[in-house]
Amino acid sequence: MPHKIAILGAGPSGCYLAQSLLKLDDALEVDIIDRLPVPYGLVRYGVAPDHQGTKGVARQFARLFERQGVTFIGNLDVCTGDHGGEITLAELRELYDVVVLATGLPTDQKLGIEGEELDGVIGSGALTRAWNDHPDSHDLPPAETGKTVTVIGNGNVAMDIVRILSKGEGEFEGSDFGTHHAERIAAAGIEWIEVIGRSPAHMAKFDPVMVKEIGKSAGLRFEIADLQLSAGAEADNTRLQALATLAGIAPDDARCTVSFRFGWSPVRLVGAGGKLTGAHFTRADGSEALDLPSDTVITAIGFCDDARLGRAELVAGATDIDSGRLAPGLYAAGWFRRGPRGTIPENRADSQAVAAAIVEDLASLAASDKPGRAALQARFDRLTDYAAWQRIDEHERATVSEGRVRSKLRSRRDMLALALNETETPS
Amino acid sequence: MKITILYGTETGNTEMLSEDLESEFGSDHEIEVKNLSDVAPEDLDLTVFHVFLCSSYGDGELPASAKPFAEALGASDADLSGLRFAIFGLGDSDYETFGHGSEQLADMLVKHKAQQVGPRLIHDAQGGDLAEDLAFPWFEERVAEVEALSDAA
Repeated sequence: MPHKIAILGAGPSGCYLAQSLLKLDDALEVDIIDRLPVPYGLVRYGVAPDHQGTKGVARQFARLFERQGVTFIGNLDVCTGDHGGEITLAELRELYDVVVLATGLPTDQKLGIEGEELDGVIGSGALTRAWNDHPDSHDLPPAETGKTVTVIGNGNVAMDIVRILSKGEGEFEGSDFGTHHAERIAAAGIEWIEVIGRSPAHMAKFDPVMVKEIGKSAGLRFEIADLQLSAGAEADNTRLQALATLAGIAPDDARCTVSFRFGWSPVRLVGAGGKLTGAHFTRADGSEALDLPSDTVITAIGFCDDARLGRAELVAGATDIDSGRLAPGLYAAGWFRRGPRGTIPENRADSQAVAAAIVEDLASLAASDKPGRAALQARFDRLTDYAAWQRIDEHERATVSEGRVRSKLRSRRDMLALALNETETPS
Repeated sequence: MKITILYGTETGNTEMLSEDLESEFGSDHEIEVKNLSDVAPEDLDLTVFHVFLCSSYGDGELPASAKPFAEALGASDADLSGLRFAIFGLGDSDYETFGHGSEQLADMLVKHKAQQVGPRLIHDAQGGDLAEDLAFPWFEERVAEVEALSDAA
């Protein structure tokens, strides 16, 4: 019997891992398990809704299920410890020869400063999940912004957020950004966006193209401050060049100003009556201070673990974390392995390396006597499969709004109704 | 006809297109598919028609798997006279550097005296077409052109 592999997490790292495994050994039996009823994880729920080109990698992943014999098992929550879930990681490991954890790092990194609990402070992950209609966002209050928004962080996630907040309502053609979100942003009438980070501009984490893309939106004017901190940078620094393309944009009838600031550390958020009113920053050496009045602060400073799978202990006790080996038969890939660094293609390379380690180890493992997915299917009667996702996908494309490519089902209940062919929704 | 397909990929989309071309035309032609990361400029068989598939990444850069080849070619004075090649790009018009990767590669090959056959076509990830729907007819046309050139010679 071929070896049975369960990959936890149907996002890009998990899907690339399945692809790489099958390139090395197409006899392997590979299942991709996700706690959501639908596949593709970050591609569907993290990549910005107006970056459909980036979401195009999902076509590769569809092939896994359509042609390469990979089985999708959705709506199964694997957990450890006190986090609930339907099956523990230890139980799952009993059913498969190999289990790979590729669930990413979903939780917003906190600033760790005073005032973070104020009303008006939003994490970038929570915000992008809401904008992507992640079902976990469905029961949360909608993300509202005021007229003066401060985005803390200057990586690509921050740039995604600035771009979406600063686009006009009509500039989401061809995206799957829900019209309800576009209308809410337009209604907020944002007049000022501060983008502020610790690094000097020439060392900021954003990709230059991401900054230039913000400049394509009509009706914005730009201010770029703190470039004196980059006085020593090389003349051909592409980040400075990208910022320079924005600096000249200042139409008389601008509807919103986007102001970039560099070299500032957040010290505290201030509010009145529980509601945010501003953010206070200083230079790293304390030489200067800055107050930015803000009715919304969005933190985009990175991601961390949600502890649902006991990652910290697994990584600390790993056999060889560099190759993804956590313990015999247990591996990690993507951000779960490497931490919150790197783009989708970097995690493709990561998954290829982990796949090589797995196949190397399997060579010395006896033939499989594990039950694999049959045991899951016998125990759980509300799992979703790839055909269920195809029904949801077709529905989302068929019910699309004008100018959009997809209109996502927003609640787990609606997804499951379609996925499980249930005429009556479960209570 | 003997055809070598060389791809430069970052996300795997271009690799997938290479495999699609092989499946579609492999029964009519003797096709070899290779990742550019596994090829050095001096390995190129100048008598074989080469089809390059190349995306762009980052700030209009070549994709990771094409970079070592491009660097080696850039640093060499290799004479690629006689090599006939066609090139297909994959890009995303969200970015102003749309198609720059394949453009760079085409320019380098021509600079080293290789002969480009037909136009460079770029698939746009923003468009409604699938990459293979553009690439299949383009590929057939390029092969026909090379066959005509060979017959004329």
